[in-house]
Amino acid sequence: MRDVKVKANPKSTHQEDSPSVKSTPEIEKKYVHRVYDAIAPHFSSTRYAKWPRVAAFLESLPSGSVILDAGCGNGKYLGLNPNCFFIGCDISSPLIRICSEKGQEVVVADAVNLPYREGFGDAAISIAVLHHLSTEERRTSAVNELVRVVKPGGFVLITVWAAEQEDESLLTKWTPLSPKYVEEWVGPGSPMDSPRVRNNPCFGLESIPESDVSVKEEKDKDSVEMSHQQEYFVPWHLPYHRAEVSGASASALASGLAKKDDKKGAVVYNRYYHVFSEGELERLASGVGNAMVVDRFYDKSNWCIVLQKEALNQG
Amino acid sequence: MRLIVHNMLTCNIKGVINKFPLRIEAEKVIKKEVDFNPDFLRHMLAKIEWKALVDGARSMGYTELPVHAPALESDEPFLRKFHHALLELNLEEGSLVCQESGRKFPVEKGVPNMLLHEDEV
Repeated sequence: MRDVKVKANPKSTHQEDSPSVKSTPEIEKKYVHRVYDAIAPHFSSTRYAKWPRVAAFLESLPSGSVILDAGCGNGKYLGLNPNCFFIGCDISSPLIRICSEKGQEVVVADAVNLPYREGFGDAAISIAVLHHLSTEERRTSAVNELVRVVKPGGFVLITVWAAEQEDESLLTKWTPLSPKYVEEWVGPGSPMDSPRVRNNPCFGLESIPESDVSVKEEKDKDSVEMSHQQEYFVPWHLPYHRAEVSGASASALASGLAKKDDKKGAVVYNRYYHVFSEGELERLASGVGNAMVVDRFYDKSNWCIVLQKEALNQG
Repeated sequence: MRLIVHNMLTCNIKGVINKFPLRIEAEKVIKKEVDFNPDFLRHMLAKIEWKALVDGARSMGYTELPVHAPALESDEPFLRKFHHALLELNLEEGSLVCQESGRKFPVEKGVPNMLLHEDEV
């Protein structure tokens, strides 16, 4: 196992000094936000099937509930329970526009820093969102936000992509995150000698200047272990005719953010994912002081949990 | 944006204490009829910050709301006014202004954009 020592960024050695957890890291700007903005209508056209487990959760909520959907995307679940009042938010303006055109009540906002006062919602959902957050601190922040914005006793449903995919052939289409992106997603002030980087044989040293590194042990690169790999780029194929309409693809291609695939007649974008390993979502949620995990399940290659916010103390 | 959402929105700029409510600068308001549901309205009464609703409604041109919510929630004329203010007034174009920092969050085509700039986080 490589033991890598890297010169710590002199600017920050403490959590308090590092850039705010609420600041968007580069990798999310490039490989989540810009991508969804560019693919929004096409993405929306493929997102219509309502996941039964999510539908069941929403239908179980009492009539008149105010339901907050943080990271609502194309608004697939907004209004699913006609007896409830949904308020959605997403960081992507193009996706939010699609929601508002359907008459939904939506806001452009950041799930890591919800511009909502505490306890307004009766329930909240986060469907396939947290896996686009590139640090554990940001994922934790997003979970805390979901709990904060619901009333005491309110429920929160969170679903994320699992590292353990039912269709393992899918993984061959994904690109495990290569080291040249490590610096971007780890970010300034976040030490590269974090246990995740140190212990993960997938992170080679190609991008790190030799003067900054002392390699304690050699590791056979061929025996790279994929089973701990959780950081991926997952492609999205935007058909050429869709790309022309969007207009964003010209600059994406020019800047190298996207590539052309003439065989498929599509512009290929990469979306950043941190897929969750078994138990990880529950561990993340258990860290929230004032909520309890009341249900957890694996369904269609997603890890899911339901949290309940603590009720107010009686007397 | 309807007042039911405005009643929840806050300014999350780092260091701002007085983050709610946001003052409404209305440029275009439209009215859209919504089915009257007294049970839902009573449920909402417990959540709503009343003064913010009254001020918000006034900014959108509706001045019929009483300064205080009446004790008798089943008062139908009151519920009708509450219904109208909460659910039928739509801010299509305008701004939501943070009372402390003065920062304006734009509302375009009925959608508030609450995203902060890098230096506000």
